[in-house]
Amino acid sequence: MARIIVVTSGKGGVGKTTSSAAIGLGLALKGHKVVLIDFDIGLRNLDLIMGCERRVVYDFVNVINGEATLNQALIKDKRVSSLSILPASQTRDKDALNKENVGKVLEELGETYDYIICDSPAGIEAGAMMALYYADEAIVTTNPEVSSVRDSDRILGMLASRSRRAELGLEPIKEHLLLTRYSPKRVEEGEMLSVEDVEDILSIPLLGVIPESQAVLKASNAGEPVILDTESDAGKAYQDVIDRLLGETVEFRFLVAEKKGIFSRMFGG
Amino acid sequence: MADASIEFKGSSFTLSVLHLNTSILADVRADLAKKIAQAPDFFYLVPVVVSIEKLDCAIDYQAIKTLIEEFKFTFVGFTGSVAKEQRQLIRELGFSFVNTAKVNTSAKAVITKESIAEKTTAIATKPESDLYTDKVHRGQIRSGQQIYAKGQNLVIIGSVSAGAEVIADGNIHVYGSLRGRAIAGAKGHHKAQIYCQNLEAELVSINGNYWLSESMEQHWGSPAFIQLTDSELTSSKLI
Repeated sequence: MARIIVVTSGKGGVGKTTSSAAIGLGLALKGHKVVLIDFDIGLRNLDLIMGCERRVVYDFVNVINGEATLNQALIKDKRVSSLSILPASQTRDKDALNKENVGKVLEELGETYDYIICDSPAGIEAGAMMALYYADEAIVTTNPEVSSVRDSDRILGMLASRSRRAELGLEPIKEHLLLTRYSPKRVEEGEMLSVEDVEDILSIPLLGVIPESQAVLKASNAGEPVILDTESDAGKAYQDVIDRLLGETVEFRFLVAEKKGIFSRMFGG
Repeated sequence: MADASIEFKGSSFTLSVLHLNTSILADVRADLAKKIAQAPDFFYLVPVVVSIEKLDCAIDYQAIKTLIEEFKFTFVGFTGSVAKEQRQLIRELGFSFVNTAKVNTSAKAVITKESIAEKTTAIATKPESDLYTDKVHRGQIRSGQQIYAKGQNLVIIGSVSAGAEVIADGNIHVYGSLRGRAIAGAKGHHKAQIYCQNLEAELVSINGNYWLSESMEQHWGSPAFIQLTDSELTSSKLI
């Protein structure tokens, strides 16, 4: 049975697609068969982050409408052969998906893959609902600021009431909190909510804390998921997330601001 | 196929009813004339039903009909909640009697009034909140969610997020942080109270009296309960 994981947030721009790409690639690097699905119909981004935008021929909507087979639409990642990407359509809108057909596609993918990562669009409308409907687990991506936390809270409510698991009265979706763009320095200065604050409000288990990092933007523009940048804090933090997803207990890193020594202060290191 | 050319169907129409307060027809004529003078076109050929409900002495039905037609109304018949014998008499005299739903309506109105009175006494005789049963919710109430304990107390084992709303006709207990809105005594119950382990609410309300966050400064961020004392909300330390 494939694990269907939705990466969601409510609010836009918090790092859903970045996280989907990093987690998908990270799991594949561990030898698992992974498929990444872009549910953001009309605002296709995942292909850019994955660096496969020039290889999109057919998309998710084509598959839903029976205009292409899954094999035609799936793009194999060039770096890791066990990873595939199912891109969104750029020319259609969110109404192009329907529950029944999405269910069929997920079922078919489940026969081949170990992990199905659904990159959700922002918002709480049809598109986001479609992405979370079939999920077994949810990675709720949140920035340490109040509006993002409130939107995540809203999405958590949706996960508990609007998903297939909720409708059928099955075991609820397993929720994970992924805090992104975390800056310990700004937390210390009181400009940002702390990990504890966010955990207290959302009260779901913490999966990872990704520090604010220049490496993320660089990686996005290069089409190389940041997890490949093993030197960067963000890359390391995503690596920890993968280990935790696979059941390991890993200590949280990058939660405290680095104390700068006198030399680095002098030389601006 | 014999009756295909016609069809009988029931329909409802709005008919004017002329209520007679007196059987002295001279007075009725004078008042009618005055009334019609105000808007002669409005009443022209208007179908009219005459209510004889308020007349208790002998009635000259034919005279009433003639009077009505004199003023260019279209006479339909008589109505009113009157004895069965009187209705029969009217029919025998060759006039139609229009049954209204009024008998039922008034009966219904009485019932409604009674049930309201009953409910009011029910509420009035239920001043102690312990007469309410508890609706228990396990888990957090998330932003955008709303939960209503109708005719019950509400017990939340978990926190109420900002942007969530918990409502109860009785008391509200939050075993966690109260960050959203809490409305206790929603149907008018001045003894309702709100308890929480951490008061950070957007709004609390008891029996229609409410506080926004700024009024909760005294016990903000600590365990507290809120009650109504002489139509004023007051908060107290819980432990």
